[in-house]
Amino acid sequence: MIEFFRVTKRYAGGQIGLDGVDLRIDPGQMVFLTGPSGAGKTTFLKLIYCEEMPSSGNILVNGRNVSSLPRSKVPYLRRTIGVVFQSFRLIPRKTVFENVCYLPRILGLSSREQKKLAFETLRQVGLAHRLNAFPLQLSGGEQQRVAIARALINRPEILLADEPTGNLDPELSDEIMRLILDIHLRGTTVIFATHDRDLIQRVGRRVLTLDQGKLIDDYELPSGLAAETEATDGEQK
Amino acid sequence: MSFFQALGYFTREAFLSLVRSWKISLLAVLTIAVSLILGGVFLLVSGNLRHVVEGWKSESKVVIYLRAEASGSETVRMTRALEETDWALDVELVSAETAHRRFRRAFPSLSDLLEGWGENPLPTSIEVGLDWQQFEDRPALEAAFAELRADPAVSMIDDDRDWLNQLEAVVFVLEALGLVLGAILLVTAIFTISSVIRLTAFLYREEIAVMRLVGATEFFIRGPFYVEGLMQGLLGGAVAVTALFGAHLLVLERYAGAPLSLLASRFLAPIELLALIGLGGLAGLVGAVTSLRRESLGQTAETPGWAEG
Repeated sequence: MIEFFRVTKRYAGGQIGLDGVDLRIDPGQMVFLTGPSGAGKTTFLKLIYCEEMPSSGNILVNGRNVSSLPRSKVPYLRRTIGVVFQSFRLIPRKTVFENVCYLPRILGLSSREQKKLAFETLRQVGLAHRLNAFPLQLSGGEQQRVAIARALINRPEILLADEPTGNLDPELSDEIMRLILDIHLRGTTVIFATHDRDLIQRVGRRVLTLDQGKLIDDYELPSGLAAETEATDGEQK
Repeated sequence: MSFFQALGYFTREAFLSLVRSWKISLLAVLTIAVSLILGGVFLLVSGNLRHVVEGWKSESKVVIYLRAEASGSETVRMTRALEETDWALDVELVSAETAHRRFRRAFPSLSDLLEGWGENPLPTSIEVGLDWQQFEDRPALEAAFAELRADPAVSMIDDDRDWLNQLEAVVFVLEALGLVLGAILLVTAIFTISSVIRLTAFLYREEIAVMRLVGATEFFIRGPFYVEGLMQGLLGGAVAVTALFGAHLLVLERYAGAPLSLLASRFLAPIELLALIGLGGLAGLVGAVTSLRRESLGQTAETPGWAEG
């Protein structure tokens, strides 16, 4: 569960990132975060994974107040949160396997365990056959799938996606969206920041709208787009 | 991850980084090596010089020349008096005839000089081997010497101590100079390693940001850089020791028997070699630690190249 209590983020230059936001996101919920550029979507996500600290207010992530979390504890929080970005953030000189296995390596898993985990996670995103490829040998959609696999490898309770379809064409966007829906259906809380209104309309679910750092709207849309597994099942039938 | 697992991972990553960016790593290794070679040369030369001086000191003697008029009883009295002092290790009476023989043996080409003199011009003397530990009580020794000079039987006292002390002072200056120069160069080497590690960290900034993002601790992120600095320093130390040994062998071979070979006759002791290598490692580690201060490595999962659209 994620809870924001009167959260304000003011940057050094006086710019407001977030302004008195109050909200609650239940475990396993899928939430779209939308609004124009500079509305505070990225700040909202950064506050959850402690890339930024709030200027005032409190943020609870799975019952832990992260607004007062010591810097030394931040890595342990981040191990429970997967983050995906628009620009994929893959290391070009590392293989898909190496890109996905950062956290297992940090956790000290044996190379056999790492391989098993990487294979399972990459199979989940449909890329088990590209284990030894390098990112630049993959398409944009495949690179984003690798980034999602990296975010999912430790079975996080929360997945934060910051404009993950921003660099992809509509077809690939749907593919990634279906994959993220699939992850959500397996019980992961997903916060998906996007300014793509069409995508939100097609997918449905809860929508939070930010503008100039304020939460100006919070509503529910009926579910639309099917998850990847549902779509595959449908095609098979 | 256990400490040993982490150490294994750090070492592997540091080694890969050394190989990957071998050119800048080589620069760091050579800078450390040059500073340690210079320090080592001073250590080697001053050590050998000190050894030579110690040898000379232990062999050096004070020669008390007696007047020609000194009687046999006066000579015996003085010899006995010297034997009873606590600073005279051995006392040898050298008669004028013995001195004459020694001169002719030592300087055969000059023996004519003595022959032309008529009677033997060399005086009777007493050679006294000194106990150098008594130098700690120098005023007492000076007083003893002054007493000897006042003796009517004594013509003059030839004392090697002054120039040996001056030579010792030269050794001391050499050691101090080597220490200062070595320290300056070591600081330069630390700065070089620091810059190299900072550059490496910059090259790895995207990977560091990813590691932070997925939950790597600072220890895990910085560890490979610390080990890399340590490795560069140890390698620099090893290169320096090898170069010093090569130079030592070369000097011994090329200048065998020449005075220069005295300055490299003994190589550094194993403990000194280990200290040089250890000093290199320490310099590398200090360079790495100073390069990875918070502001230089950054503390976020953000990198400028990854600004989101």
